[in-house]
Amino acid sequence: MNLKHLQDICATVRRDIITMIGKANSGHPGGSLSLVEILVSLYYEVMNIKPEDPQWEDRDRLVLSKGHGCPALYSVLAHRGYFEKDKLITLRKLGSILQGHPDMKKTPGIDASTGSLGQGLSVAAGMALGAKLKNKNYKIFCIIGDGEMQEGQIWEAMMASIHYKLDNLTIILDHNRLQIDGPNDAVMSLGHITERMKAFGFDVCEVDGHDIEALINTFCRPSSQGKPKFVIANTVKGKGVSFMENQVGWHGKTPNAEEVKKALIELGGEI
Amino acid sequence: MNEQKKSTRSSFAEALVEMGYKNKNIVTVAADSASRYGDFVKKFPERSFNVGIAEQTMIGVAAGLALSGKIPVVTSYANFLTFRAIEQVRVDIATSGLNVKLIGTDTGFSSAWLGFTHLALEDMAAVRAVPNIAIIDPADAAEAYKATEAIFKYEGPVYMRLRGRKEEPLLPVAEKSFEIGKGQILAEGGDVLIVACGGAVYDSLKAAEILQSKGMHATVVNMATIRPLDEELLMKLTSSIKHIVTVEHHNITGGLGSAVAEFLAENNPDVRLMRLGVKNRFGTAGSEDMLKKEFGLDSESLGSRVERFLKDY
Repeated sequence: MNLKHLQDICATVRRDIITMIGKANSGHPGGSLSLVEILVSLYYEVMNIKPEDPQWEDRDRLVLSKGHGCPALYSVLAHRGYFEKDKLITLRKLGSILQGHPDMKKTPGIDASTGSLGQGLSVAAGMALGAKLKNKNYKIFCIIGDGEMQEGQIWEAMMASIHYKLDNLTIILDHNRLQIDGPNDAVMSLGHITERMKAFGFDVCEVDGHDIEALINTFCRPSSQGKPKFVIANTVKGKGVSFMENQVGWHGKTPNAEEVKKALIELGGEI
Repeated sequence: MNEQKKSTRSSFAEALVEMGYKNKNIVTVAADSASRYGDFVKKFPERSFNVGIAEQTMIGVAAGLALSGKIPVVTSYANFLTFRAIEQVRVDIATSGLNVKLIGTDTGFSSAWLGFTHLALEDMAAVRAVPNIAIIDPADAAEAYKATEAIFKYEGPVYMRLRGRKEEPLLPVAEKSFEIGKGQILAEGGDVLIVACGGAVYDSLKAAEILQSKGMHATVVNMATIRPLDEELLMKLTSSIKHIVTVEHHNITGGLGSAVAEFLAENNPDVRLMRLGVKNRFGTAGSEDMLKKEFGLDSESLGSRVERFLKDY
């Protein structure tokens, strides 16, 4: 692992996110920027994939249940070679392979269509069951948002994951603590999420969601026998852009031309 | 009519086990109603999953299994499948055209005493609003068996409506083959065309006999596939018969009556159409026979409603 190289990629992905959302004039910068290190760690160091063969049966799979973070995923997929980088600026344009939320029928590398919060974890659990049924060793990663944990279906799927001992499933909570209407704690508190998840029966790890080394170590550590892994990644919404960091207002707001310029300079130059 | 009786549910379960032996990719996911799969769970325990009372997760897990190359079957009371979990059906399955078989049970009046929560009278409307899903409502147990075989040979999402545990008489359709998208002519007559599906086919045939005794001759079509609709057959029959009646154990909005009305309005508006079913009402507790009378869908009521339609128009 070359840490400097991965950090450079993260900076590039962040610039892509700002540029893409700016050009589309719509999108979700805050929750995309909080995801970057998680996705770069997974797609560059952790997941067993073949970008030239996106449907390879033995690949590890990722379900981005918080589908609105897809600009980050699209950028990572493009840099890993799933499709050409010049497609990135077509985000949300009519006919683009890059939809406003992940569409597995349109984008190479997207393993499941998501966008309606709360649904992705059940699909990921089904994939994990499918892998066990086929006696395959591939792993399933599912990224959920903290606001998304308020959806009842998430808790159904967590029960099923534990009941079926899906130790090939890793749930990653992008815990940036903010949602559209404000902080989680003000809208609908997650309580002591670490304790709750331990009590639920997961193999729980808590990690700095922007520390690439720590993320890779956490993802690669085998889970306790028979338990799905639940990784609480503490992140900063809007990470990397000073005026977006920890700001509720940047959940689904588009930066104007001036703000795009300012953000790109902060992120180390224009693309 | 044939005196043999059987339920669509038990017939489906028998066919499922049979198909389970033939195709090892078939798996079932239950939401605490695994008995609907009959012996499948006992015969193929490693291919049978149960997520508990969690219909939305049942659909999501089925999608994940389909994405792993399996052919998942899910089942629940039709309302819980098509209303509780319709967004999961839409986002997880329909948009990607995943090969999942959705089996809604206790449709129409067949959940009888359970009342409006369980009486599925709008389920087809919910599914018809979502693109990409074939919709089948078998007329009797024999057709349910053939339809079950057919849906596993069909690649893509299917919603099949079954009824309850009650044994029902077998219809003459039992002798005919079943093909997705094809209606079947069960009786021929030139005065009126009755297009029915599911549990309404039996009483439609009985009503046609009543009409016959009064000198009115009906063609009765079993339109077991609501989508794709057998447009060719409708065009052919409505070129000579101008009085059309649809009959369904479902709200007349969004189901068979709507499908036929939409097609004829755009393709052959030169006809008179009457849609019989439940009109802008919820279900209510009662025996199946009581409910059919309450909604004017027993054979006598159907007969007189069609007779009036022919006389008034």
